[in-house]
Amino acid sequence: MAASQTPSSPQAAPLVPREPFLTKRRAFSIVGLIIFLGFFAIPIYQTILLEMWDDPGQLTQQIVIGLTKGTYIAVIALGYTLVYGILELINFAHGDLFMIGAFLSLIFISLFGLDPKTSSGITIFFSLIGILGLVMLCTALMNAGIERFAYRPLRKAPRLAPLISAIGMSFVLQNLGIFLGDGLIWDKIADGLGSDAIGRVADAMGSQSVAPKNIPDLLPNGQVFFIPNSLKYTYKDLLVAVVSLGLLAGLYSFVRFTKLGKAIRATAQDRDAARLMGINADRTISVTFLIGGALGGAAGMIVGLYNGTAVFTMGFTAGLLSFTAAVLGGIGNILGSALGGLLIGLILALSDQYIGTRWSNAVIFAILVLILLFRPTGLLGQEGGQKA
Amino acid sequence: MPNTQRYVKTGGIGFAVGAFFLWNYPNLGIGAALLGGLVIAALCLLYSAPLPDMIKAGLIAGMFGAVMTIVYGTDKPGVAIIAGMLSGLGAGLLVFQRSPQANPKKAAILGAEAGAIAGAWTALALLLTAFVIAPAAGVDAGEFAEHLSETVIFADALGLGSDILILLFAFAFSTLSAAILGAAACAARSLPLRPNIPLLAVIALPVLLIPLIDRAGNLLLLDALIPIYIFILLALGLNIVVGYAGLLDLGYAAFFAIGAYTTAMLSSPHLGINLSFWLVIWVAAAVAAIAGLTLGAPTLPLRGDYLAIVTLGFGEIVPILFRSLGGGPPSGTLTLRFFGMPIGIEQVDLTGGNKGINPISPPHLPFIGDFEPSNKIPWYYLLIVIMGLAIFFINRLRDSRQGRAWMAMREDELAADAMGINVVRTKLLAFSMGAMFSGFGGAFYGAFIGAIFPSSFDFSVSIILLCMVILGGLGNMTGVIIGGLLIQGADKMFIPKGAELFRDIANERASATGSSTVGVSALQDLTQQRLLLFGIVLVVMMLVRPEGLLPNERRKAELHPDDDTINSNSVAAEAESDPSLAA
Repeated sequence: MAASQTPSSPQAAPLVPREPFLTKRRAFSIVGLIIFLGFFAIPIYQTILLEMWDDPGQLTQQIVIGLTKGTYIAVIALGYTLVYGILELINFAHGDLFMIGAFLSLIFISLFGLDPKTSSGITIFFSLIGILGLVMLCTALMNAGIERFAYRPLRKAPRLAPLISAIGMSFVLQNLGIFLGDGLIWDKIADGLGSDAIGRVADAMGSQSVAPKNIPDLLPNGQVFFIPNSLKYTYKDLLVAVVSLGLLAGLYSFVRFTKLGKAIRATAQDRDAARLMGINADRTISVTFLIGGALGGAAGMIVGLYNGTAVFTMGFTAGLLSFTAAVLGGIGNILGSALGGLLIGLILALSDQYIGTRWSNAVIFAILVLILLFRPTGLLGQEGGQKA
Repeated sequence: MPNTQRYVKTGGIGFAVGAFFLWNYPNLGIGAALLGGLVIAALCLLYSAPLPDMIKAGLIAGMFGAVMTIVYGTDKPGVAIIAGMLSGLGAGLLVFQRSPQANPKKAAILGAEAGAIAGAWTALALLLTAFVIAPAAGVDAGEFAEHLSETVIFADALGLGSDILILLFAFAFSTLSAAILGAAACAARSLPLRPNIPLLAVIALPVLLIPLIDRAGNLLLLDALIPIYIFILLALGLNIVVGYAGLLDLGYAAFFAIGAYTTAMLSSPHLGINLSFWLVIWVAAAVAAIAGLTLGAPTLPLRGDYLAIVTLGFGEIVPILFRSLGGGPPSGTLTLRFFGMPIGIEQVDLTGGNKGINPISPPHLPFIGDFEPSNKIPWYYLLIVIMGLAIFFINRLRDSRQGRAWMAMREDELAADAMGINVVRTKLLAFSMGAMFSGFGGAFYGAFIGAIFPSSFDFSVSIILLCMVILGGLGNMTGVIIGGLLIQGADKMFIPKGAELFRDIANERASATGSSTVGVSALQDLTQQRLLLFGIVLVVMMLVRPEGLLPNERRKAELHPDDDTINSNSVAAEAESDPSLAA
């Protein structure tokens, strides 16, 4: 992250000459790719392109959906990118934190008794802002806590250890999602406290702890603009995009212009040097996790409200999507991750429409593998290739 | 005083678990919950107390047997005998691990003592089951006596009429067999042979006897044991990739799926190809090995977490492929356009889509005939043969030039390259060898289950396999087998059976107090806490003992560069300072 934003100092000439682009291995891969494209991909491409050409209205609609999805994927991706930038750790638990964010927002919505039919628009608006803040606070604290107990003791361990610890935390969070989604537990608490509000949470969760939960449709469904037979853009889409872009802009300016942001960038670049300059590296890392967690929780709430459902496994898929987005844009680079998120959202929507929903994950992964193989630094990443 | 702190810590953990029980199972009654908490706290204290190695080893191994007895005991009290034998064997091996003996006679005495403690504890658990747990779960004395006489072997032959006599016999049999096996294992360990045939014989004895006891007592343990063994076989293959070669593979289940689907396609009526299992298992292994090569080739330049992500992606794509390459309309034609020309592609239902492939032909042997799904014994022995061969080959492979090259590459790829190791070849071989063993596992799995579904090969399988390897000790085969037994045993035996038992107890309690039975919440249902348990195991292992239960020497040295990094943790420090463990 830092490397991309600070003006790079003139570099000394590398001791080892650069590898020529066309190595033997690469040549083989390229020939293989051409054969593959010729036999399989070109007919498929052509079919898809012709289908797109036949119905431009549908294509526009898919692009709009894709970009909307892309904005929140970008928000999740930022959580990965921030942590990777500062610790070089793939925070597997981040996707599940996003899921916890969705569950927490459902819990708070039920606690406040928000209902699209009875509550007035203004109440909903201000409550949602408040809930967003609460969810962000909770997930931020959780993320910082996870860092404190599961990652910090492993700071000096080999790189495999924190990665596996992160996978473990991801499981713990998924199970927390099961617990949070269990109406029977909430019932018990409600009985114990005699509280109606908690009873509403129990009702919202239902008796099946692993079943998907419905989140009330609180966002306005009116249409911003509408072209018959081709394009529909609702206030809901607009709101999602605006909130997500606002978060992105806020984060960017925080990291770019504040003193803490500078500390984050410095720590990401060289932790020991930052320490020598008087930066408290541990605290800076905690702040990074706080911010990442807040973004994850916010994304969880946005996605939960946008899609209207939450399920305890949603974090895994979303996490992989956004991790791909972060890698695509150049992991460690904030703008890159935002760009990657938009692109992944676009690809996802188009592939859902033209290739088939069941293939979408395979398409995303194929893209991830191809990027890692041919440009591990991502689209906007700079020389960080040694990490790959 | 560091010891006081340790007692406080372990005792605190025990009481926390007790409190959890109390809050969670109010149906059990405060007394039972407090008792459970106290027992667990006492065990934690015992574990951290400076007791003789023999007692400690006996207690630790006996814990396994006791849990197994309690979980199964209500329905099948005869399990106590198998549990006693296994825990005795474990105690014998463990006590030797902690205090090695040069003299076989002394070792035998030590092993017998440890084994007797383990066996006695297991047998005590049987008594506890008989008098406390079975009544609590709503099994009355007559019913329990029936279970007892049905499942305790030799009870009829010896003409033991009364229930108490059978119970005492089971107690004595379990303790005695545990002591004998413990003595034999410890003595065999002390022999300076290489390969240590007596030790192998002692370990093989209970493993080979289990199906017979199972059949005689009608215990139906093999249903759970065979999948556990299959997963251990897979973990051994994964250990080649992750443990020996140091390549973190998060998509290992893909090779398992490839092996299983190859078997399913070639040996079932689904595609009309019905080859013999004995041929198909080799084809499946070969196909999986080739898949390993295809994954390995493009990922050669990647390291560490990037490799992990690519393998994860591969592991996700493969089940999607199997799910999508079939199950569509029966004979639909997909029309694609190639520069304007329409090309019709006939859609063949290759994999059965979400429904999977069902049935798969079982193996056939001259004297046994087709392996029946109802009779698990031939399957068990076939799997034992496959696993024995796999363990033998992996052992030889590890000590070969290739195996040493893997470890050199794991330690430092650049240095290995400089020493003349062909890194490309070494990596590719690690991937394909690892994949090959999961091909065998997949082929057996397909034939054994008789049907396969894409959902059996998702990410969680890869992660559970990785947990097994890490818990046991990366790079150490014995460790991987033990880690596999623990995790898979928990996953396939203890968690589901324990959940059933808890549910029975809660229901019995509810009907006794007259309250209606309500649903079981996720906090009370053990099966819904599976992920939590695995997650905690992974995190705690990384924090406390990143090298695993039975570490590989070199990895241990690598993970503990100096004691400062982990000195906050007394357990790890103890493991470091304990000379017997380092030996």
